Amino acid sequence: MSAGRGTKALGAYALERLVNAVPLVLGVIVVNFLLISLAPGDPVTALIGEFPAPPEYVERVRAQYGLDQSVPERLVRYLGSVVRGDLGFSFANRQPVLDLVVQRLGRTMLLMLTTVVLATFVGVVLGVWAARRPNSAVDGGATGFALAGYSIPEFWLGQILILVFAVWLGWLPAGGFRSIRAEYVGLDAVWDQARHMILPVLALSFRYMAITTRLTRASLLEVMNADYILAARARGLSERRVLWEHGLRAAALPIITVIGYNFSFIVAGSALVETVFGWPGVGRLMYDSIFTRDYPVLLGILLLVSITVILVNLVTDIAYALADPRVRY
Amino acid sequence: MRTPLVLLALTLAWLFGHALAQAETPTPGGTAIVVLGSDPEHLNAAISTGYPIGAVGASLYSALVYLDRDGVPRGELAESWTVSDDDRVYTFTLRPATFHDGTPVTSADVVFTMEEVLAPNHGRFLNAYRNIASITAPDDATVVIELTQPYAPLINLLTVFEAPILPKHVFEGTDPLTNPANEAPIGSGPFRFVEWVRGERVTLERFEDYFLDNALLDRLIYRVVPQDAARSVALEVGEADVVWGFYMPPADLDRLDANPNIEVWKGLTIPSLYFVFVNTDNPALDDVRVRQALMFAIDREQIVEQAQGGLGEVAGGPFGAGFAYAYDEATDYRTLYPFDPERARELLAEAGVGDLTLTFVYDSARGAFAAAAEIMRDNLRQVGITLNVQPVERSVMVERVYGRDYDLSMQSFTSSGDPAIGYHRIYLSAERGANFVNATGYANAEVDELLNAAAGLADRDARAAAYTEVLAILANDVPTLAIFDELSTQAAAANLRGLLVRFDQRDGLEYAWLAP
Repeated sequence: MSAGRGTKALGAYALERLVNAVPLVLGVIVVNFLLISLAPGDPVTALIGEFPAPPEYVERVRAQYGLDQSVPERLVRYLGSVVRGDLGFSFANRQPVLDLVVQRLGRTMLLMLTTVVLATFVGVVLGVWAARRPNSAVDGGATGFALAGYSIPEFWLGQILILVFAVWLGWLPAGGFRSIRAEYVGLDAVWDQARHMILPVLALSFRYMAITTRLTRASLLEVMNADYILAARARGLSERRVLWEHGLRAAALPIITVIGYNFSFIVAGSALVETVFGWPGVGRLMYDSIFTRDYPVLLGILLLVSITVILVNLVTDIAYALADPRVRY
Repeated sequence: MRTPLVLLALTLAWLFGHALAQAETPTPGGTAIVVLGSDPEHLNAAISTGYPIGAVGASLYSALVYLDRDGVPRGELAESWTVSDDDRVYTFTLRPATFHDGTPVTSADVVFTMEEVLAPNHGRFLNAYRNIASITAPDDATVVIELTQPYAPLINLLTVFEAPILPKHVFEGTDPLTNPANEAPIGSGPFRFVEWVRGERVTLERFEDYFLDNALLDRLIYRVVPQDAARSVALEVGEADVVWGFYMPPADLDRLDANPNIEVWKGLTIPSLYFVFVNTDNPALDDVRVRQALMFAIDREQIVEQAQGGLGEVAGGPFGAGFAYAYDEATDYRTLYPFDPERARELLAEAGVGDLTLTFVYDSARGAFAAAAEIMRDNLRQVGITLNVQPVERSVMVERVYGRDYDLSMQSFTSSGDPAIGYHRIYLSAERGANFVNATGYANAEVDELLNAAAGLADRDARAAAYTEVLAILANDVPTLAIFDELSTQAAAANLRGLLVRFDQRDGLEYAWLAP
């Protein structure tokens, strides 16, 4: 099989996956819409505020947002507007949903991508380190770290990090996206933003570092017992080359899979971490929208998150093929 | 010789320091950061009753009147006003003032804002508007409000929280709900809009052409801190300067109080009454003896101490402690209904009620409600009542309580400036399904008549007489169980002065200044 044919096959595969994703996305919209519509609680109550309002006023607000229509009517109308690229109008924020979400998506992506990169890097390095000396002190430490990572919830870790690094030591800001009292420009602004990212990224990535460490260790231990590793060693290759070039490449497949898999959980975790650290991202917007019953915003975010997860899974599969020549589509 | 010299030096130093403290004069300049617990949805205070929108709106907009520290109405845009002898016609004379875009504020802006924006879109202003026959502008500087019947709370409903004035030329002919000025507001208040980063902050700066004394701070930043524990931390590490009680975790107050850089204040300003609705659809609860038994059985003192962290006063009556003229010592609940489980058991036995199970519904986001529910469950178990505690999300609570699908439900209502605004609705008879009114099903024609009459009486003594009669009826019927009045709190950076100069702590930040 030539390289050219391989690339073409991969392209066709990606296209096929994208086309198949369309009914999936539609299904996601319909299920989310129905779930939200069936949940108790009236968005009109949240809109009006905590004061008695005359029934005709309540009905006027209800009609204003099209909430007087039946669920199927609203669903059809919603699907129609989504197809045209319009995610609707936020009840509470009185702004187009797309504008609201796009404003914040970048900030959430910054948090999430940094988390994925950090969690993968640290996780792989720790995992390799542990696998090289199974049952050593290093291995025990890595295992303990993994166990802690699995068990500690993000929001709790976030609060502890704030307590230690912001309140006790005073090294890092306690929350927010950047400094508010001082205005920075240029490199200072980048540094200021980076300082604000350290604690939320740590809180968010701890669990995924742990998962990746554990997985890398297990995967590598298995691979390192394979015959071709023995052969490589027999050819006199250094242990370092055997490990990093032969061992890790083969062990990488499950690691790549889990990165894609983790991504959807990081989305959920970011809602908690953004709330703890006052990070003005999509997760926070989602959290607020649930309480104000701002259906269009909630649906819009769920839709964009589903699309992101589908795309990340696709990228993962492609990365899979690139990492392992045996994988062909 | 040395000791007297040292003493003299110390005395002089003390005098000098004292004189310095006395002579501390407000200095302009600097930035203050005020914490908001959630992002305002937009910045048009005339189309929303939300707390954060009102907070930013108080600095951006102005209104006909404001309430001073003691809750007395004073002229803001209105230089003065007169009330006709029959208490039905209010005539306001406006001061010369300008909007942030330089156009003058005229009576046409007032009439337009009230008629076209507030009346259709602002829940609380609507309460005043229902008593208004007409709003007219005989000339540029005069506004006349004519009522259908005397309505004493009117003036309290014309502040920046109920009736902020918008520029007519920006809103005329547009949909006020989607006008772009909702994102970049133009008001006539002491601060003008600079920037809004959604989810992060709203930045305002001093408006140099403000019609009253200019604000002292250069900049006022409202910063969003969604998690309550993070708000106290922001104050401690200097990332914020003010946290209002509405956003304050009560458990953090003692810690903040111990911090020399933070000033903590507690007081009873805007009354907020915590009470329990009793659903009389339940035949057992329709019996007045059972409701009285509940009053005797619940240890309100314990609820204040443990559920509210001491930040409250046990309620003496159905209108709380905020209004002296709506309180009568003769019907004080603390003497009529002391904590007395034995008396409660007797009343329940008299009513023939045994083995009662009640559903207790509350908004799960309210920590004080959850703690109070646990205490009440324990209290009621002592008298043979099982409390089935059901925390639900706020919007679900609203559906269940006002749809009368509950037995007991804890609530807190506020009544800014006048009991007729927020407290009458707890006792006036109401339709099933109407929100934020009387959800008990208790309907008493005499109470309705007396309360409606009281709302029309401007004279405090006449009102007091009407309330005395209502208080006697409610003290016997106890359609709701009044638990406690909440104390307001605030924590602020110690070097930020000039706070709390008006009735609502969100108002009057133009007087705030930073001590060097």
